[in-house]
Amino acid sequence: MRRRTRAAGHALALALAALYSVFPIYFITVQSLKSPQEDVFGSPLWVRHPTFENYQELFAGGEARVRGYVIVPRVPFLGWVANSTIVLAFSVVLTLGAAVPAAYALGRLRPPGWRWWRRALFATYVVPHTILFIPLYQVVIALGLDDSHAALILIYATMALPFCIWILSAYYGHLPREIEESAFVEGATPLVAFLRVVLPMSRHVLVAAGLFTIGTVGQDFMFASIFLLDPGQQTVAAGLGVMDVSLEELVTVAGVNLAAIPVVLLCAVFARGYVRGLTAAMVEGA
Amino acid sequence: MAGRARRITAAYLLLSPALVLMLGVLAYPVGWEVWISVTNFSSRGPGDRAFVGLLNYRAMLHDSEFWRGLVTTVAYLGVTTLAKLALGVPMALLLARPSRWRALVFLAVFLPWAFPGGITVIAWYWMLNPPLVTSYAVALGTLKHAVDVAAGGGAYAFLSVVAFNVWRGSSFTAVFLLAGLNAIPTELFEYARLESSSVWQRFREVTLPLLRPYMALAVFLSFTSAFADLANVWMLTGGRIVFPVLGTQAYWLGIRGGQFAEAAARSLSMVPVLVVALALLFRWFDRREDTVDAAAPTASGRSLGHRAAA
Repeated sequence: MRRRTRAAGHALALALAALYSVFPIYFITVQSLKSPQEDVFGSPLWVRHPTFENYQELFAGGEARVRGYVIVPRVPFLGWVANSTIVLAFSVVLTLGAAVPAAYALGRLRPPGWRWWRRALFATYVVPHTILFIPLYQVVIALGLDDSHAALILIYATMALPFCIWILSAYYGHLPREIEESAFVEGATPLVAFLRVVLPMSRHVLVAAGLFTIGTVGQDFMFASIFLLDPGQQTVAAGLGVMDVSLEELVTVAGVNLAAIPVVLLCAVFARGYVRGLTAAMVEGA
Repeated sequence: MAGRARRITAAYLLLSPALVLMLGVLAYPVGWEVWISVTNFSSRGPGDRAFVGLLNYRAMLHDSEFWRGLVTTVAYLGVTTLAKLALGVPMALLLARPSRWRALVFLAVFLPWAFPGGITVIAWYWMLNPPLVTSYAVALGTLKHAVDVAAGGGAYAFLSVVAFNVWRGSSFTAVFLLAGLNAIPTELFEYARLESSSVWQRFREVTLPLLRPYMALAVFLSFTSAFADLANVWMLTGGRIVFPVLGTQAYWLGIRGGQFAEAAARSLSMVPVLVVALALLFRWFDRREDTVDAAAPTASGRSLGHRAAA
């Protein structure tokens, strides 16, 4: 009897956790599937006659459409998605490309003060971003990256790097030395030993670092909307943020959902690797 | 000895791309912010900036608005962080226990974090502040009015940011701590099960201390996301959130008012709080790593140096 109550309690807790996590997304999805009529007269919690017109609107070309008495500008949604993809991909590549050698240096080669280097990098999270974009804009212009994706990629990389270096260096630091030594015995150079042995072993941690970078890039709205003013260069976040939401809130919400789908799928595929990688970095001794 | 020197050189070479990137992007902006905060730089005043020492900070400390902002900011960080832990720790413990639905629930719990926060916040904001025509606009409008009357103007919009940050952050915390739980040897839990029968005691005396370093890391990352979400909503609404938080005050002074010096001082005023948090984090983490290194001397970098010297 007691075991059954406990099992039921466990199931209930699982259901609550799932409900709590999914409900806001369910709510958003319900709204995005509504027609204007149902938006006004329907229920907020379910949709009776789902329609994809809000989604189709995102792909309708042309300059504007007329709805009633208002002219609603159309948006280059596919262009935004392409821009976001570019920014996301290069941010991940740049972050991992800089994090892996740095983490190897700090975790494996351990130069004097390695711990302080790692701390100093992590301490950059203390920097308040509040009005930082004013001097950042000066840097961006000095580098000639005005209205360019490269500006965002550089900024995102600096936001993700400290954590990625932290977990990767923890993992490399805990790996037993014998793992490389067997490769050395066979005559491999340190670089070959790293590429053939250590790097493949750390693939889960790389997945964790990569997903963390994606999460960091995905979290930003502010920098994207400040640094990308040219509509042709905007990412999804920058574009959706400036849509005239009081008229087009359902289309905006549909855009949010649609843009999230590929990221969510990516995360779902790598979710296990993410946890495994974080665990691998946290395990003591390894 | 030559081996050791070569190893150190190699380490710095490998470290350099990351350092160049961090310094190249952040050194000037941070320096600018610190320097501006000790000048009288303002778009209203004379063109040249003069060094005024700690004048801006002193004026700030005498401003009751600043103290209100500081209290709200610290409360915002405290409440969101506690809520993330209060939701994230149980979810992590739940997901650590094997069950038939675990894989599915795990994906569900992962979802809020996987949904890109920068755009989800847009949808979230407009769902909670719907345009007037929407079917539930009246109900939410009434709620908004009640909250704003009870807690002051802008409170409802502010609370919707709190809810968003907690929702997304508890997902991150749960998954992060699940990884932490997996990293703890199961024998420790089994031993604890033999030693004590009370679930609560086991949680307090075994699970919690073992999880503490990971919780510290999750909390620190939660701070950065809390600031990011606040800034996102502020940008999104063109500064319509008027609830007094240090970040918003700095925006108003700097962007709207052109008083860059005061704005810089205000935005830097959170740094001491965060530095203390960081110091605690490092203490928890490095103490653990020191015990690891002592237990496994072969993993220490020195052995390579010795071998190279020999």
